[in-house]
Amino acid sequence: MIEQLPIVNLLLLLLTALVIPLFKKKNFKFTLSLNFTVLLIVWVISVYLLYYVNTEGAFYYRFGNYHPMIGLELLIDPFSTLITFFIMTMVLLIFVYSTSDATDGIHQKEYDRYYILMFILLFSMYGIIYTNDLFNKYVFMEILSITTCSIISIKRKKQNYSAAFRYVMLNEIGSLSYLFGVALLYMVTGFTNIEMVGQSLETVWQTHPTNIVLAIGFMIVGIGLKAAIFPFHIWLPDAHASAPSSSSAILSAVVVKVYLMVFVKILFRVYGIDILSALNIPTMIMIIGAVGVIMGSFFAIAQNDVKRMLGYSSVAQIGYIVIGIGLASYLGLSVAIFHVFSHGMMKTVLFLSVGAVIYQRNTRLINAFEGVGYLMPITMGAFFIAALGMIGIPLTSGFISKFNLGLASFEGGSSPYIFILIASGILNAIYYLPIIIAAFLRDNPEKQTVLSKDKVPALMLAPIVIISIFIVGIGVFPNGLMTLIEYAVSTFEV
Amino acid sequence: MDLLKDILEHINFIGAVALFVIGLYTVVTHSNLIKRILGINIMGTAIFFFFIAVGNVLEGAPPLIDPEGSSEVVFINPLPSVLILTGIVVVVSITVYSLSLVVRIYETYGTIDQKEIAAIQKGEDYSD
Repeated sequence: MIEQLPIVNLLLLLLTALVIPLFKKKNFKFTLSLNFTVLLIVWVISVYLLYYVNTEGAFYYRFGNYHPMIGLELLIDPFSTLITFFIMTMVLLIFVYSTSDATDGIHQKEYDRYYILMFILLFSMYGIIYTNDLFNKYVFMEILSITTCSIISIKRKKQNYSAAFRYVMLNEIGSLSYLFGVALLYMVTGFTNIEMVGQSLETVWQTHPTNIVLAIGFMIVGIGLKAAIFPFHIWLPDAHASAPSSSSAILSAVVVKVYLMVFVKILFRVYGIDILSALNIPTMIMIIGAVGVIMGSFFAIAQNDVKRMLGYSSVAQIGYIVIGIGLASYLGLSVAIFHVFSHGMMKTVLFLSVGAVIYQRNTRLINAFEGVGYLMPITMGAFFIAALGMIGIPLTSGFISKFNLGLASFEGGSSPYIFILIASGILNAIYYLPIIIAAFLRDNPEKQTVLSKDKVPALMLAPIVIISIFIVGIGVFPNGLMTLIEYAVSTFEV
Repeated sequence: MDLLKDILEHINFIGAVALFVIGLYTVVTHSNLIKRILGINIMGTAIFFFFIAVGNVLEGAPPLIDPEGSSEVVFINPLPSVLILTGIVVVVSITVYSLSLVVRIYETYGTIDQKEIAAIQKGEDYSD
């Protein structure tokens, strides 16, 4: 029974997407509650699977019981269940927010289409994380790129169309490069199953090095384009800024992280640390990450549109995760996954609270934040906590990940990266603190100087507050999450 | 002479890579959005071509079991062809989506040239 649960997850998400258009649009509350129920069920199953694999061990799901050499295979291990648990928790909270703020640029009659896209998006993310087959990953990645592009272009604005078009073109170059890498690996190994490719690469590495070097080049470029790793980030700010607020949060906090996790799987499950260090790839990845951290922050300082600023800040934060991956050590990889969690939570709070301000003020310029702290103290308080996390102030989860990243780079013999971490903390302060100062210390046009209750729906505030509590909670008690992450990292040979 | 022989032996792969580069060049350099989509299609075709060339066996038979045929036949590998069927569907759906996006872009901007779109965008600020 338990081994059927992963496929139940996938089918529930896919079937809900198919069922939504059947309901009458007048009774939209019913559709929303149905969606919420399905998300809750999938969340419970994900939590149960996380508990199950951590106590009983990993298991496989084989479609039609074919041999993995020719069939498809899902691998349910501590790593995949941990990431799916994170995806579902974030999306569940963002869904609650989106029920009130779906008005952000989407026509009333198109609300149901937004939720259809959201469910297919979730389905493909679950598929990417669960599947243990390189070609199957490609198919799920293409489903994910079509749905992310459509969730951007669902807003009927000029900018959304051009941003989505640029995104779909770069995404497609990325997917096809990845597929070329898969073809080159298939040429020398004869498998697409990740574990079998990994095993046969150990012997093939000696006889066909050209194919393997070309394949990893194509794959790094392909995944890098999709995960917005620094030189390939150009699509990200436009795309994430023009999307509706709730989907910006999903795109920035979850979708990009899914691609980074594919990156981790390819590096450490397909290739393995021996081939990587022989090719000197970890050092290159670390340098790319470090440049991304600094340049992303510099670009963010120059923006006067808040959502674009948050987009560039994501580029910088992805740099941290890439540095952690590039350390290629047990601690480095654990910190990378920890930062996936903490950045996911902080960026969600930032995008959602900015979305609440846009809901109230109808503008995205930074100077619209003047005095908004008096009007919306809870929203801006959450923004404040998340911004402190971004800078890396103690008692937030951002501090834990930065501190551990510093420790890991010191331990890995690459201490210069500690200076990059400190410099980036200062740069983050340069672009986050002015917003907070403007919000709490400047006059607002309404001349209101007493704290008043936020005039946004309670369902929009609740997720923001809950995730801010998580940020502080994990900043104070990181050990529980860290144990789960270390258990997940132990499935990789690092 | 050896070089020529090498080229002739690997002509499938060389052709696939050449197509891939042509496609990439089209996507990156052209400012016409339709031509970019064409470039993506050429890139996709190149990889499908490459994949099927990998599965080919010289003088191999189609992978169909003939009850009366001899058992000594060498079959070509059917798996890449099967994978590529899926790949073709994926690229078709991406093409359809991006073409529909181009229709919307033409309706709102009145042009499908990337340079003209950028010039229009420069002239106006984002409004929400």
